[in-house]
Amino acid sequence: MKRNPAALFFVAAVVAAMLFVGFHAARRAGAGGPDSLDPTGKPAPDFTLESLEGKSVTLSAYRGQAVLLNFWATWCGPCKIEMPWFVELQKEYGPQGLEIVGVAMDDASKEEIQKFAKEMGVNYTILLGKEAVGQQYGGVDVLPTTYFIDRDGKIVSREFGLQSRSLFVDNIKKALGQGHPVQAQK
Amino acid sequence: MHRTAVALALLSSLAGAQSPGKKTPSVTLAPVAPVSVTRGQAGEVSLHFRVAPGFHINSNTPKSEFLIPTALKMDAPTDIAITKLSYPAGKDMSFPFAPDEPLNVYSGDFTITMLIRPLHTVMPSKYAIRGELKYQACDNAACYPPKKLPLDFEVKVLKGATASGKNPAQSPHAHR
Repeated sequence: MKRNPAALFFVAAVVAAMLFVGFHAARRAGAGGPDSLDPTGKPAPDFTLESLEGKSVTLSAYRGQAVLLNFWATWCGPCKIEMPWFVELQKEYGPQGLEIVGVAMDDASKEEIQKFAKEMGVNYTILLGKEAVGQQYGGVDVLPTTYFIDRDGKIVSREFGLQSRSLFVDNIKKALGQGHPVQAQK
Repeated sequence: MHRTAVALALLSSLAGAQSPGKKTPSVTLAPVAPVSVTRGQAGEVSLHFRVAPGFHINSNTPKSEFLIPTALKMDAPTDIAITKLSYPAGKDMSFPFAPDEPLNVYSGDFTITMLIRPLHTVMPSKYAIRGELKYQACDNAACYPPKKLPLDFEVKVLKGATASGKNPAQSPHAHR
């Protein structure tokens, strides 16, 4: 059967274009979810957010301390399970230089988040999240999402969804053991 | 040429496919059966939704004030009233993240019904009814930000018997 070279070239060009577009669309679709590129070893994106107490808190001000950065929401059931763990872990590892920071990715008002945090007995910093900060961290399409950041501000690990307490402890120890301990300048 | 077209279609679907194994929560609406309602009368419309396997969404009446209820917001043309939006009862289910605190949820299939009543003044014709379902999904270990599912269906308004003493040209707002 005789093939028309021009038609074959056209088909090849169309296929190449579709594969290119599809590849980039798939990469974009994966951003922020469990398929996102592994951020381990990269610097944690810096941000400044308002705390429940009305203070401006900048992530990089915790340099020298290990940070457990937890994205959560008042409507997230699995997040509620982790909160009492974080209360205990802040007490246990705070003296060694751990700072737990919760970022509420919520549409709820500040007062509602305050009420929720009070009910949960939260003893760590809660910040009022913004979409832009979520985007810096890849979109935060899954809650809870937790980042473990070492004393130099580098990401040690990232966990999606509810994980075991022992995994948190392992990651906290890893974060505390990496980087240079210096006095935080909050 | 036909074989070329088939190959192109197949490659096109592969090129646009998302990476396999990525689970994302979704709620879908089954095609809505044709609806015909006589003006001045009420007709029932059922919307059949399906929650993707492995996920659940809060019912319309979740047990905690902090949970986001599933809610349908409808937007009908003027003079077509939507009343009696009726949500199914949720199912009390326990999840690994809260074994002692059952949540009231929808999973699998659920149906929301409503009554549609075109006023006497509505011109017999086909009308688009639009709306959106707001829901917030979770699975056994994680939750996902609230989403809105846009929806629309068509209602055919029939003339029916002319009501005596009514003036079709009368302003519809006079009935309110």
